Amino acid sequence: MGPYGFYIAIILVYAAVDSMACLGLNLQFGVAGISNFGYIIFQSVGAYTAAVLSMPNAKTTNGGFQQYVLGWHLPWPFPWIGAAIAGGLLAIPFVFIVGKRLRGDFAAVGLLVSAVLLNLLVKNYVPFLNGDAGISLVPSPFQHYWNPQSLGYQFAYGGVAIVLTIGVYFLVKRVTESPYGRSLRAMRDNDIVADSLGKDLRMQRTSVLILGGAIAGLSGAILVGFITLWAPGAWGYAETIVLFAAIIIGGAGNHKGAILGAVLVPVGFEEITRYLPPLGNPELVPALEWVSIGLLIVLFLWFRPNGILPEKRRILSGNKNAAPPEPTKGDAESDALIKIGNVQELNFHELLHLSEPVNDNRVILSTNGLTKSFNGVTVVSDVSIAIHQGRLTGMIGPNGAGKSTTLAMLAGTLPSSGGQIFYEGTDITSMPSHKRAQAGIVRTFQLASEFKKLTVLENLVSAIPHQSGDTFLGSLRGKRYWGRQDHDHIERAKEVLEGFGLSQYADVYAGGLSGGQRRLVEIMRALLAEPKILLLDEPMAGVHPNLAHKIGDQLTNLCEGGMTIVMVEHELAIMDAFCDPVIVLAEGQVLAQGTMAELRQKEEVVEAYLVG
Amino acid sequence: MSVELSKKGLVLTATGLAAGYDGRAIVSGITVEATPGKVVSIVGPNGSGKSTLLKSLVGVVKVLDGSVKVGDTDITNMAPEDVAKIGVGYVPQIDDVFPPLSVKENLEIGGYLLKRHEVNERIEAVLEFFPKLKAMMTRKAGKLSGGERKMLAMGRVLMLSPSVLVLDEPTANLAPIVATQLLEEYIRGFANFGSTVLLVEQRAKAALRISDWTYVLGGGRVVLEGPPQDLAQNPIFVESFLGGGAKAHPPKD
Amino acid sequence: MSSFGFGLITAAVLAIATVGFTMQFAVTNVLNLAYGSIMINSAFVAYYVNQHGVTAWVALLGGVATGAIASWLLNRFIYTPFQRRNLAPITVVIVSLGVDLVGTFGLQAIVGGGYVSFNQSQGHEYHILGMLLSGLQLVIFGICAVVLVGIHWLLKYTRLGKAMRATSANRNLARNSGVKTQFIISTTWIISGALCGLAGTVFAMNAGVFEATSAQLYIVLLLAAMFLGGPGEPYGAMFGAVTIGLATEVSAAYINPEYKDVVAFLVLIAMLTFRPFGIFGSEKTN
Repeated sequence: MGPYGFYIAIILVYAAVDSMACLGLNLQFGVAGISNFGYIIFQSVGAYTAAVLSMPNAKTTNGGFQQYVLGWHLPWPFPWIGAAIAGGLLAIPFVFIVGKRLRGDFAAVGLLVSAVLLNLLVKNYVPFLNGDAGISLVPSPFQHYWNPQSLGYQFAYGGVAIVLTIGVYFLVKRVTESPYGRSLRAMRDNDIVADSLGKDLRMQRTSVLILGGAIAGLSGAILVGFITLWAPGAWGYAETIVLFAAIIIGGAGNHKGAILGAVLVPVGFEEITRYLPPLGNPELVPALEWVSIGLLIVLFLWFRPNGILPEKRRILSGNKNAAPPEPTKGDAESDALIKIGNVQELNFHELLHLSEPVNDNRVILSTNGLTKSFNGVTVVSDVSIAIHQGRLTGMIGPNGAGKSTTLAMLAGTLPSSGGQIFYEGTDITSMPSHKRAQAGIVRTFQLASEFKKLTVLENLVSAIPHQSGDTFLGSLRGKRYWGRQDHDHIERAKEVLEGFGLSQYADVYAGGLSGGQRRLVEIMRALLAEPKILLLDEPMAGVHPNLAHKIGDQLTNLCEGGMTIVMVEHELAIMDAFCDPVIVLAEGQVLAQGTMAELRQKEEVVEAYLVG
Repeated sequence: MSVELSKKGLVLTATGLAAGYDGRAIVSGITVEATPGKVVSIVGPNGSGKSTLLKSLVGVVKVLDGSVKVGDTDITNMAPEDVAKIGVGYVPQIDDVFPPLSVKENLEIGGYLLKRHEVNERIEAVLEFFPKLKAMMTRKAGKLSGGERKMLAMGRVLMLSPSVLVLDEPTANLAPIVATQLLEEYIRGFANFGSTVLLVEQRAKAALRISDWTYVLGGGRVVLEGPPQDLAQNPIFVESFLGGGAKAHPPKD
Repeated sequence: MSSFGFGLITAAVLAIATVGFTMQFAVTNVLNLAYGSIMINSAFVAYYVNQHGVTAWVALLGGVATGAIASWLLNRFIYTPFQRRNLAPITVVIVSLGVDLVGTFGLQAIVGGGYVSFNQSQGHEYHILGMLLSGLQLVIFGICAVVLVGIHWLLKYTRLGKAMRATSANRNLARNSGVKTQFIISTTWIISGALCGLAGTVFAMNAGVFEATSAQLYIVLLLAAMFLGGPGEPYGAMFGAVTIGLATEVSAAYINPEYKDVVAFLVLIAMLTFRPFGIFGSEKTN
């Protein structure tokens, strides 16, 4: 080993610490889509916590030359455990920034600024953590029994750090590859849609902020125990950019990529060049490192946005060797080429776990004076409708009549400005949309709403409710806990896929499908959410007419089996064939209601469509 | 009307047009023609591709096949700002004004291509056509009512004295009485001045009343065309909106 | 009262910077977090011109030109190509952070880490309304005031300014009206870049001594001022900058001056949490 021994030990520790930090950030950014520009403060709070927990009382130590709080002098491993807890706890206030529906870049700026603010406060308020000078003489674990300056100790330290990092790797992998991880990735790809399928976004974001924060906190503790000092200069906001660079370069969403990125960027640049002989002015080498990191970020985002090790496509169908189908052509003809499957033969009742048909035609969903205005313009005004259980209710009206807005208010995607919504007699006007989805009100969207970087099969499975692995704790319990059930879910989704004739696309990213195919995926996904009430917003747009009729037949069957469906559609032939009753909206108000045959005889309806 | 509202109209023709997004055609095989002094309307149910067709004529949506001509100029896939320069005024269905700009500023942007001294003259001319706007010149466009906003949107395109007016559902979200006034007084008025007017309308019967020729779109293709008096009685016409069995009511006057 | 005077100068410089920053956001929807690095690069160009015997006020023009050219290049060759790929806004923000590192530390690699200062006198001291201000500060204030009035005039009364506002409100409709929006966007970046260069140079003059990383945290003040007035609103930016500038300097008189920027941070976080569209802005609907 010779003189390089210490150097190698140091590199090992840094590699472990940076990898651990990157794994936590990758869970947040790469998997859950949270751009936590304040990530470095979580590592820092861990470092400070470990320091003050392991250090003796400040006033009685070394003549009180530094000031800090606590000073509990706890033995290892308590400072490290405390650091992880502190990192997790720090996440809680940040939920207020990322939990809201804020543009992703605005939320990121909020986190960035929070990080700068905390740095400023710690730097200037000396009694808290010794201000700008930072805390030094932090005890290393077991330093009274084993000399921390010895090569053996340093290698042992590196070994422990690496073992813990491997542990963290398996932990984040366990979460990511679970049904809960699937929900996190769904949220990353389209949070509003995930919300409408019953995913609790705030809960999901909170859980990854806390877990990622705890991981960052632990990484800080390991680092401070080794370098024995910690100061505000070590956690400027630029340090977070380094970690982001690592993940972008390594491959966001891929945990091996995160480790690779950590080894290449923070370790490669910061630690190895640290031992280069000085050249030029003293700032030159570090300045050039920063320049390189900045350039790498820009170049990678341009030339290789998915990183060196891109996120892996998950093959759920079990058919690992099957060549993926030719990418669908982007022309209108490709939809007509969809092989129309045996959608009529599918037994949805069994597949979708529908309860025994209760078809009592009671009012299941109703509104009373429902109103929506945007900046003073009323788009839905005083709409009172009653949806009967077991019926396929259509909703038609000219452009701008307020159909989609009404549907969105029923599902909770948009808050109403006035009036009430009742579901099974209960006022749900202020119930958040994911709660409504969990209670059985599931909607689809007019615009493409697939989870782009989930495969078709993953899109479908993600919607299935009551997955034992789709909670944070469930995911931690591992595949042994949720694997069997997930396997059943995948089989169910495969059958539905087969029925719609899209089996060959099972393992293709949903973002690569044609428009019509994406509509089908969305309908299948909504059905798998096991709705009691299904709200469909122009589901047949772009779907081959033959297939549209087959789906219509199935929807009718579902209603006979006890499901309630409300469908906004402009294809009146569909309304004719399947919907009863049909509600006509015009200029934000209910104009008429009845069967299409009745409506056609009503002058005001014909007028609304033709004259206005 | 004392001032010239528009330049002498030019013939707008689209031949064998296919257009859409991301290389996917929404409309195809479309041949339409609009001539000076006439209102030509395009009607059809929701989703039939009316708006996409209009957008492709003015350079907002990509033309995939076929050609568009104004007079002798081929404007197929020409940039929207150049289409405006050639004399085609396009009023979109939504986002038809600049909300944070005042009414006057909206008109000034409408006259962006004019010489400095012509702008104010032109505003006077437009205000004569839409006198209601006079009282609200300093108000922000975002604060106008639906009808006022639509007048401003049309006033904006009139600033350049267009030869061809392309209007996308100008009456959407307007109260019926305002809609009728807009169509019968103003839009018909443009044509009477000699402009070429191409109109997409949701309110099909109202559109028929002021049109000289009407195309009915369905599923991205022209399914029917003809003079409006023939169409109104045509059962296929009513059916294309409400499906089979709809009762054709005699047009009211 | 003297802190109020300092506040006025800070606010005036911040207003110039924020107006440029918010104009960039308005026309291209980019949160250009590399803004601070262009400010300080501009200041250094002005400093080097000044070092060659040119008076600081003429050298200032070098700073302005640097800001204008660098910003235009940045938008033309980096942000626009990225935006054409229809990426999430966050990607462009991360790109801008990368550019910020390149700009700030590229400068540091060239000029080294030492502090420098302009070769100019502070001028006489003046007592105005109980405030003690140096001649230099008064000139800076004057320049900022004139430029802000100029921007107001540009936006409200010129064909170009109206086209800029129209482009930011509705790019497609502006094109339908015959506005060459690509040209307008380039011009906006040149003008906002000039403001950036001006703000950077007078910021450095006002600070007395400065180095390559001096403007690194200035972006936070910019963000606070912008979000206070509403993102993309030039007049909101002026209001936000004056509020933040005064609040930070006046609060410095009452609490530890080291914490003066805390006010700005708290304002920003509160705005993002409760009213991300600003005090005067309205919630956008889709």
